[in-house]
Amino acid sequence: MSDRPRGFGGWSAARRAVSSGLRFTSLRLRLVVVFGLVALTAAVSASGIAYWLNREAVLTRAQDAALDDFEREMQSHAGTLPVHPTEGQLAYAARQMGDDGERFSVLLIAEGKNGETVQGSSGKSALDDFTLRDVPESLRKAVTKKQELSSGNKNEYHLYWQRVIDGDTPYLVGGAKVIGGGPTGYMLKSLEPEAKDLNSLAWSLGIATGLALIGSALLAQAAATTVLKPVQRLGVAARRLGEGKLDTRLRVSGTDELADLSRTFNRAAESLEKQVADMSARDEASRRFVADMSHELRTPLTAITAVTEVLEEELDAETGSVDPMIEPAVRLVVSETRRLNDLVENLMEVTRFDAGTARLVLDDVDIADQITACIDARAWLDAVDLDAERGIMARVDPRRLDVILANLIGNALKHGGSPVTVSVREDADDLLIEVQDNGPGIPEDVLPHVFDRFYKASASRPRSEGSGLGLSIALENAHIHGGEITAANSPKGGAVFALRLPRHTSPLATEDQPKATEGSGG
Amino acid sequence: MGQNVPVPSLLLIEDDDAIRTALELSLTRQGHRVATAASGEDGLKLLREQRPDLIVLDVMLPGIDGFEVCRRIRRTDQLPIILLTARNDDIDVVVGLESGADDYVVKPVQGRVLDARIRAVLRRGEREANDAATFGSLVIDRAAMTVTKNGDDLQLTPTELRLLLELSRRPGQALSRQQLLRLVWEHDYLGDSRLVDACVQRLRAKVEDVPSSPTLIRTVRGVGYRLDTPQ
Repeated sequence: MSDRPRGFGGWSAARRAVSSGLRFTSLRLRLVVVFGLVALTAAVSASGIAYWLNREAVLTRAQDAALDDFEREMQSHAGTLPVHPTEGQLAYAARQMGDDGERFSVLLIAEGKNGETVQGSSGKSALDDFTLRDVPESLRKAVTKKQELSSGNKNEYHLYWQRVIDGDTPYLVGGAKVIGGGPTGYMLKSLEPEAKDLNSLAWSLGIATGLALIGSALLAQAAATTVLKPVQRLGVAARRLGEGKLDTRLRVSGTDELADLSRTFNRAAESLEKQVADMSARDEASRRFVADMSHELRTPLTAITAVTEVLEEELDAETGSVDPMIEPAVRLVVSETRRLNDLVENLMEVTRFDAGTARLVLDDVDIADQITACIDARAWLDAVDLDAERGIMARVDPRRLDVILANLIGNALKHGGSPVTVSVREDADDLLIEVQDNGPGIPEDVLPHVFDRFYKASASRPRSEGSGLGLSIALENAHIHGGEITAANSPKGGAVFALRLPRHTSPLATEDQPKATEGSGG
Repeated sequence: MGQNVPVPSLLLIEDDDAIRTALELSLTRQGHRVATAASGEDGLKLLREQRPDLIVLDVMLPGIDGFEVCRRIRRTDQLPIILLTARNDDIDVVVGLESGADDYVVKPVQGRVLDARIRAVLRRGEREANDAATFGSLVIDRAAMTVTKNGDDLQLTPTELRLLLELSRRPGQALSRQQLLRLVWEHDYLGDSRLVDACVQRLRAKVEDVPSSPTLIRTVRGVGYRLDTPQ
C-alpha cells in the first residue's frame, strides 16, 4: 500500500530524466542543423558565383584568343587564295592556318571555277575530319549573310562563333567570310583543357563546401556545448536543491543570459534556505519552549508531590483528623497532582525524543519475565492472558520496553476491556509481541491516528485518564530500538497492537557498557 | 528494623525553598531527623558539624554543583549519598554515579520512594554474618564489616561494601545486574543497571591491583559480574 506512491514517483522521475535527455539532444541537433544550413547556403552561393565568373573568364579568354588567331590567319592565308581555288589549295591553306590542327581545325569553303562548292579541311584523316556538318546551320547562315553597310557597320561580313557540345566535350565553332569574295572559313576548337580546369575548380569548390559543412557542424557542437553545459549544471543544481541540499549554489561567470539565470537560481536557493532555516528555528524554539516549560513545571511539582503525600497519609490515617468537608478536596488535589506528574513526565519524554537526546540502556532480558513483571507491577495479572515461553532472551532497554508494554496493555484494558491477550513470538532476528483486546476494535478513520499526540477519537468520547501521549511515546520507544509498532483490527474482533523489536539492538546506541573483552578469560 | 534502631539523621541539600521544605516535611513524617542546607557550601559545612548518616543531594545547585559536592565528600567520607536528579536517562545519572553517589531518585519524587531508598541504603551497612573470606590479598571481615587489602584498611561506602559482600557470598558464581540490583539496592523491578556498573567500577578502583584489567571482580559477558579467587 505504502509502496505505490514511491513506485509512481520513481517512474515519473525516470520518465522526466529520459525526456530531458531527449530535449537536450534535440536542442543540440537543432543547432547543428541550423549551423549546417547557414554554412551550406553561404558556401554554395559563394562557390557558385566564383565558378560562373571563373568559367566565363576562362572561356572568353580562350575563345577570344582562338578567334583573333582565326581572323588573322583568314586574312593572311585565305585572303591570298585565288578567287576560285582548288581543293588542294584550300586544304593547304586550311592546314597552314590551323598549324596542322595544333591550335584548331579549319574548314575552308569556296566557289570553284565551274560554280561548284570546293572544300578544304585541315583534318589529317577522314575520321577527325572537320566538315560542314559539324557547323550549326544557324552559324552558317549568319556567316554567309551579307550585312547592310552603314555608318556603324563598315563590313559586309562578320565573324560569328558559337559554342557546341559534342558528346562530353565542349567546342568553339567560329566562321567568317573573306571580304571581297574570298572563301568562307570555319574553325573548330576543342575547349577540353579549359573544361578540365573548370572541372577541377568545381571539385575544389565542392571540397571547400564540404569542409565548411564539417566545420560548421563542429562549431555547432561547440556552441551547443557552451550553452548546454550551464543548462546541465543548472539542472543538476536544481535536482540537488530538490533533494533538500539547500546550500547548493552555482558559480556565476560572465554576464550572459545563462549567468543571469544562474544568479536567479542562487537567489531563489538562498531565500529558500533562509525560509527553511527560519522555520526550523521557530520549530526548534517551540520545542525548546515545551522542554523548558515542562522542566520548570517539575520544580513546583516536586514540592507539591511531596506534600500531597503527606495529605494523603493524613486521609488514610484512621484518626479522622481531616474535616469530612475537606476530604474530597484533598483527594482531588492528590489525584490531579498525580495526573499532572504523569503529563509532565510524558511531555519531558516526548521532548527528549524530539531533541534526539533519548538514550538506550541495554540489558539482556527474559521477555516473558519482563512482561510478567510489568503486569504484576500494575496489578493487571487477573486481566491479562500471557502466551509466552520463558527463555526468549533479547537485548533491549528494559525500562523502555516496560513503557511500551505498559502503554499497550493499559490502552487495551482501557478501550478494549479484559481479557487482554499478550503473545510473544520469535521471528528470525526479531521479537514479535502482540497485544490483543476484546473490545469493539478501532474505527477505520481513527486507525491512522492512534499514535498521534493528543489525538482524541471524537469529541463525544469521555476524557480519558491518559495524557494523550502514551501510544506516541510507546512508538518512539520502539523506534529508538530500531523496532516498530503497528495497530490493526483482528478479524475475530478487537484491536491488535503488534510490537516488533530486533532481538539484538545495535550496541552503537548505548554508552557506558562494560568492555566486552575482559570477560572472555574466565 | 528493630524499634531500638536510632532515628537516622539526614542532610538534605536542595536550593529550591519549596522542594526543601516539602521534602523536609515528608521525610520528617517518615521518621527521619532532617537537617537542610540551601547550597553545596553550606551542606559541606553542616556535614562536618553534624555527621549525618546519609546525604540527599540535589544535582542542580548554585555555586558548586551536586557532582562536585559528591566528589568532595568522597575524598574524606564514605557515607551514603542519594542524588536528586531531573532526568533519569541522561548524562546526569552517569556523572553522578561516577562522582560516587550510591543511588539516585528522579524528580518529582514521591516521599515514600525516597524513604524506601534511604532505608535500603542505610541497611547496606548492617552486619549480617560473623565470618571472613579471603580472595588473594583481599580479606573481607564480615564481623567487623571491614575489608583489608595487603593488611591495609580499604575505605568502602556501604553500597560498595554490600556489593562486595553479595559477590563474596557466591564466589565464582555470576550474578546478573538485575540480581545485584535486588540484593544490594533493593530495587524490585527495572532497576537501573548503570548503578551496578558504576559501583563495580568504583569498587575495582579500590580492590584491584590494576583496575583496568580486573582479576577479582570479573565481567561475565551477557550475564553480569562474579568474584574470583585469583590463581
